[in-house]
Amino acid sequence: MTRTRLPLILMIIALVASMLSAVVAAMPSTAPLLGGYLRVDATSRLFLALVNPIFFGVSVYVWGRVASTPELQAGMGRFVTSALLFLVASNVVLIANHLFVLWIALEVSTLAAAPLIVRPGVASSRLASWRYLLFSSVGLSLVWLGFICLSRSLEEGGLVPSFFLEQMKALGPATANTWGKLGLTLIILGLGTKLGLAPMYSWLPEAYDEAPPAVTALLGAVQFNAALVVLLRVVHIFRPSHAGLINAELVTMGVASMVISALSIIATRNVKRMIAYASINHAGVIAIGLGIGKTASYGLLLYVVSNAFIKAILFLTVGKIEAHYQTKDTQKISGLLKDLPYSGVFLMVGTFALLGFPPFGSFFGELLILSALVGSGHMFVFAAFCVLITTTFVAMGRTIFPMIWGEPKQVRAWPRQTFLSAVPKLFFLVALVVLGVYIPPVVNGLIQEVAASVSVEAP
Amino acid sequence: MSPLLVALLGVLLVPLFVASWRSSLIGLGCQGLLMAMIAYRLDHAPTVNSWLVLTDLAVVRGLVAPFVLYAVLAARNTPARNDVIPPNLLSWTLALGMVLMSFSFSEVLVHAPGEQRTLVAVATAGILLGFLVLATQSDPFSQMIGALRIENAIALLGLGGKARESIGLQLGLIGVFVATIAFFRWYLHAVGPTGPAADAGPEGPTI
Repeated sequence: MTRTRLPLILMIIALVASMLSAVVAAMPSTAPLLGGYLRVDATSRLFLALVNPIFFGVSVYVWGRVASTPELQAGMGRFVTSALLFLVASNVVLIANHLFVLWIALEVSTLAAAPLIVRPGVASSRLASWRYLLFSSVGLSLVWLGFICLSRSLEEGGLVPSFFLEQMKALGPATANTWGKLGLTLIILGLGTKLGLAPMYSWLPEAYDEAPPAVTALLGAVQFNAALVVLLRVVHIFRPSHAGLINAELVTMGVASMVISALSIIATRNVKRMIAYASINHAGVIAIGLGIGKTASYGLLLYVVSNAFIKAILFLTVGKIEAHYQTKDTQKISGLLKDLPYSGVFLMVGTFALLGFPPFGSFFGELLILSALVGSGHMFVFAAFCVLITTTFVAMGRTIFPMIWGEPKQVRAWPRQTFLSAVPKLFFLVALVVLGVYIPPVVNGLIQEVAASVSVEAP
Repeated sequence: MSPLLVALLGVLLVPLFVASWRSSLIGLGCQGLLMAMIAYRLDHAPTVNSWLVLTDLAVVRGLVAPFVLYAVLAARNTPARNDVIPPNLLSWTLALGMVLMSFSFSEVLVHAPGEQRTLVAVATAGILLGFLVLATQSDPFSQMIGALRIENAIALLGLGGKARESIGLQLGLIGVFVATIAFFRWYLHAVGPTGPAADAGPEGPTI
């Protein structure tokens, strides 16, 4: 088989996965499968329908890049193998009905993603890949330690531990002891590491910056959501019995992440890192929304879905800009609308969505989370949220907007570009705009169902 | 079991003070073998589950993991000295303080004195010392040692519980650990000043 066909095969498999996901999303939830280890519920359906089309879009982008750049064919075997393993593992995370299966699948997706970050001949990318693997391994070790503590907690109460999700939910109240609280704290801390939340966030800017743009899009839009699904499952199980602990830990991690993100955005001149720091900010917003629960849950999920498309658009676009100017320095790039009009438009719309402008879903999501903060009496968090969002807005705007408008500083020859490499970004853009102005009833129903599942508290 | 746990605590501490990469790897190997002996004492029923646990601890953690890393370091004639924590009084005090803190912490978690409490204390000490290594070192080998110390300590804590996973899940967990070790081997070879010579060339296009 020739290497030129490998991206095509990846694209076809991703297309089939996307079509299956769309069918599954429109169908009702299933009974447990394979001995109860797998189950397709509302959360699975929503995230399958989100993650697989994004993976398909990225695979189309890769196909276009390889078609126009024959040098890229050399590493295609390794890329396609790892990407397929990553796709399978991510899908298993979404449909797993057992916490250990979730953990194993998330670890496999991490191991599959690590070699994808490496760019041939670039030492800094190998170091970034190593840090990504190290932090992920330590984060997932903390999650595993949390599972053991939960198991001990149940044994202390004379119960037999079970890690099937529904059985775990029934056992949740029995974990309200020291072992149980310790276990839940460690699980949230470990998953926070996978999501790039403070305090263990430092792998994220480095990995997102060093990875090839297509891989950064996969990490930001696919793996982030797979890890988030695990957190949603944990919150779904334990919110009724540990609402206070979940609220305190997630809100603290969320606010700390937003502070770090805002300060880092002010300090950096690297456009890719800036968007990576904005991803930490988004993770912070999501953690706060999830911590608050109640009416914030719908806004949170709307924000998550929009955010996946925003990251995919921005990371692919920034990759294109970097390839054109051979720099990521924001002060050396300007006049994108004149020099690279399509990339300029993608960056402009993506940035507006990133900063939470209407009519994008991120705007409505943030609005609902802010409203829930006021409604639940978290006035200090509300004030901090507003200040940090405004700081992030000003810091990103003053750097990104001059890149989009103004006169080009460098005149460079146009690189070869196929229409195919622009199609995925266009698809993501359309999905983003549609989600802002009209949410299809199927998607809306799923979001409401998932929101209800993560906001249930003790009666 | 207590003498085994005391020996395990010794194996956790000694490589921190004997600054050589060989002692770190021997320490890892001894941890795996001692944990296998503890597991055998706790549950020596002739079931597939028990044999899988013993294989994981004795063969994978005790022999394969240290040997794989040893092969890479020995092949490139790495200098013998390797500090896994900074060689100063502050680090040593911190390490010993963590051990004492672990024993106090275990009293909060396990109310009745006995072997379970000692096991929790030693596992907690292993986790904290692993984090101490990770927090103070930036070279990949020491970080690997820190991460593996944490993994081993978590496995030790798991031994104290009664819950056992299904065979499929256990195999999955062992598979993930073996794959992680394989990645560690690759990174040990690829990251750092002795990385592939291909770096000399200009960076090509990326996907």
